Amino acid sequence: MWESLNLKDVVALARDPYPSIRQWARDTGKKVVGSTIADVPQEVIHAYDLLPVTLLGTHKPLKKAASHLPDNACSLARSNLELALSYEGDLFSGFVLPQVCDTTQHLSDIWRISFPEKYVESYLAPRQADRPSAHYWVKEEIERLIASLGKWTGKTLSNDALSASIAIYNENRKILGELYEIKRNNPGTISNLQFFAMMKLSMQVDKAEFNKSLKAIKDGLKLKKSKGLTDIVLVGITCDPPEVFDIFDELKLNIVGDTLVDGTRYLRGAVSLNGNLIEAMADRHFNLGFYSPIHDNVYKNFEEVKKLYYDMKAKAIIYVHIEFCESQEYDLPDLKNMIKKEGIPMHVLDTEYQTVSLSHILTRAQAFFESLKGGVL
Amino acid sequence: MSEKLTSKQLSRKITDEYMEDAFHAHDNGKLVGYTTAISPVEIFVAHDIVPIYPENHAVANLTAKKGVELCSAVESMGYTSHLCAYARSDLGYRKTGVTVTKGIPDPDLFLACNAQCFTLTKWFQVLARKGDLPVFVFDTPEHILNKDARKEIVKYCVLQLKELIGFLEVQTKRKFDYDRLKEVMKYSAASSILYKKFLDMAQYKPSPISIFDALIGMAIAVYRRGTQECVDYYQTLCDEIQAKVDQGIGVLPKEQEKYRLYWENLPVWFKFSDHAKLLGSYGGVILTSLYVHAWSFDFDLNKDPLETLAENYVNRFSNSTIEDRADMAMELFKKYSMNAMIMFMNRSCKAVSFAVPTLKDILTKRTGIPALVFESDMGDQRFYAESQVRTRIEAYFETLDRLGLAQKTAAA
Repeated sequence: MWESLNLKDVVALARDPYPSIRQWARDTGKKVVGSTIADVPQEVIHAYDLLPVTLLGTHKPLKKAASHLPDNACSLARSNLELALSYEGDLFSGFVLPQVCDTTQHLSDIWRISFPEKYVESYLAPRQADRPSAHYWVKEEIERLIASLGKWTGKTLSNDALSASIAIYNENRKILGELYEIKRNNPGTISNLQFFAMMKLSMQVDKAEFNKSLKAIKDGLKLKKSKGLTDIVLVGITCDPPEVFDIFDELKLNIVGDTLVDGTRYLRGAVSLNGNLIEAMADRHFNLGFYSPIHDNVYKNFEEVKKLYYDMKAKAIIYVHIEFCESQEYDLPDLKNMIKKEGIPMHVLDTEYQTVSLSHILTRAQAFFESLKGGVL
Repeated sequence: MSEKLTSKQLSRKITDEYMEDAFHAHDNGKLVGYTTAISPVEIFVAHDIVPIYPENHAVANLTAKKGVELCSAVESMGYTSHLCAYARSDLGYRKTGVTVTKGIPDPDLFLACNAQCFTLTKWFQVLARKGDLPVFVFDTPEHILNKDARKEIVKYCVLQLKELIGFLEVQTKRKFDYDRLKEVMKYSAASSILYKKFLDMAQYKPSPISIFDALIGMAIAVYRRGTQECVDYYQTLCDEIQAKVDQGIGVLPKEQEKYRLYWENLPVWFKFSDHAKLLGSYGGVILTSLYVHAWSFDFDLNKDPLETLAENYVNRFSNSTIEDRADMAMELFKKYSMNAMIMFMNRSCKAVSFAVPTLKDILTKRTGIPALVFESDMGDQRFYAESQVRTRIEAYFETLDRLGLAQKTAAA
């Protein structure tokens, strides 16, 4: 199903992967388990011979979610709930939902109550990351998830199965990392839209199959060194709708680094296959980058963004703000000031899932980059 | 022999002395720790750190209708208007200095417990950045339904309390005294029992207290628990309310008390007394909410103090599942014989409000009582539509009358 896709197929599937996931589930007889972002150790779900799918909202209209979550709730949370309630709920046999903030905590409850017949488990991510207890807790939660999935599926997880799944995930991250490197060093070879479509689809389809497509895509790339592209760093949690990447391409921007949950935060750190696997998965959690809901220090975010900007020799930072994401909204004013003080050009892009009109995003981004070229900010 | 103080006088005295102590903390070799209203403050008290609750200060300003002025000031700094009104008004106070009180002393450190909400953690982080001060996040995962998981959550929280103690020892350069903690726990346990007794007096008919009395009465439990004076205050308060009960004195006279209401959420602070009057004119008295019960702890003094602290702070309503919140509310419906409910969608308290639509569905189904739902803000008047709320309240009582619910009590 996903083993011989070209870049065009990937872009098309990333827009709506669900028909193909349905077909795949029918063909293989495997169950599908959905997870919202972020940080669910999906290797564990995969090791139970289930298909883990990261839910990244829907672009279809909101019909039911509004009666559960008010309009000042994070638009990604509402969009994911709508996806499950109105459009794709029947595809999923279960859900593993991480809790990282007030909204995701309530979302888990609403989800469980809305789907009483399905398997719904919460993954209680630590909301502190700098003390030994956080490491202890991540391990506990991974073990609890293993036990919970075992009870639901009636299977016992073997070390070999977990090891095999981790290897597939590691490989996926490695190939995507290599593709990112190509994108950075060979501007114009892979568009922003194409690269982030590969990222997104990696989080939603069977990786063992998709890795084959990614390898073939990588091997078949004709390297270019297009001129006139502006290298930028993308900062935030997620970036949606995909048309935003079209806008970046239209403006001749090349994303050379990012901090997105469905970007570099997904790619970072291979899980070691030597030693205790659960310990290794926990270690990986703490090697990921700054993530506003769990880290308590915006300076760390600033330092990370600054390093990325200088290391990648980028020309500007685009911060993607998801409407009504409290976590971002408490951090953003200070982060903006720190970045401004550093003299780094930064543009804040306000996005909302279910966004229909993108003209304002285009106009504002255009104005920003025109002023950047003119040297006036 | 001096005359015994009334609860009101005692509250004033305790508050004045507490603030005096807070403003002179450094003179007395103490540190000031900002903390969340729901947090294991017993550890602070045992270690002689003066706890300050920016939320309480925010409530004073919002009740005095300073919300618009303070929130507008902070919005001009780039913060959005849909963040918590407590946070916005506090950050506004930092910027403008505007307050209806004497203000609050600056912090030396922060303790953010997310059993209450995640917002406070983020808010404290903003404040901490201004002075490059340390923040300790006491992370309390949701008290999920799985009983085995709950045991693990408590273990994780106990580990963190030990880390908290280590953190405070570093900050103060003093060894923590566990015997002192045991003593503090005794006061906290005793005052919690009395506080709950006070709240539960709303069971009487007519009820001698409304939620507005509870909201005033809860202040000492919030900021002085773990002290003898807190115990004394609630003993005095209980004695006074018992005297009212003995005399049959209710918020409304018995024959006028038609509707005994449940309130979901924090109050609309700047409409506090208006709501009491308006509801009273329809024979309605709001008796209670899960919010005011958040400080009725059930400490087990036979357990390790850190364990009973962890157990109590993770299972607050604000950190419970919606199913458990519904059960908690149902307990109150039965105990207090309530026959109406107001579900307030508080736009700037997402932690409590995002559960409200689901909770409303469960409670109306289980009680058979219709609910009045209205959306506004606990502190920002710009989001309060006076005529709309008034009309909805009128219509709600008309519905209750039409359904003949005045004579009924909540079903099981």
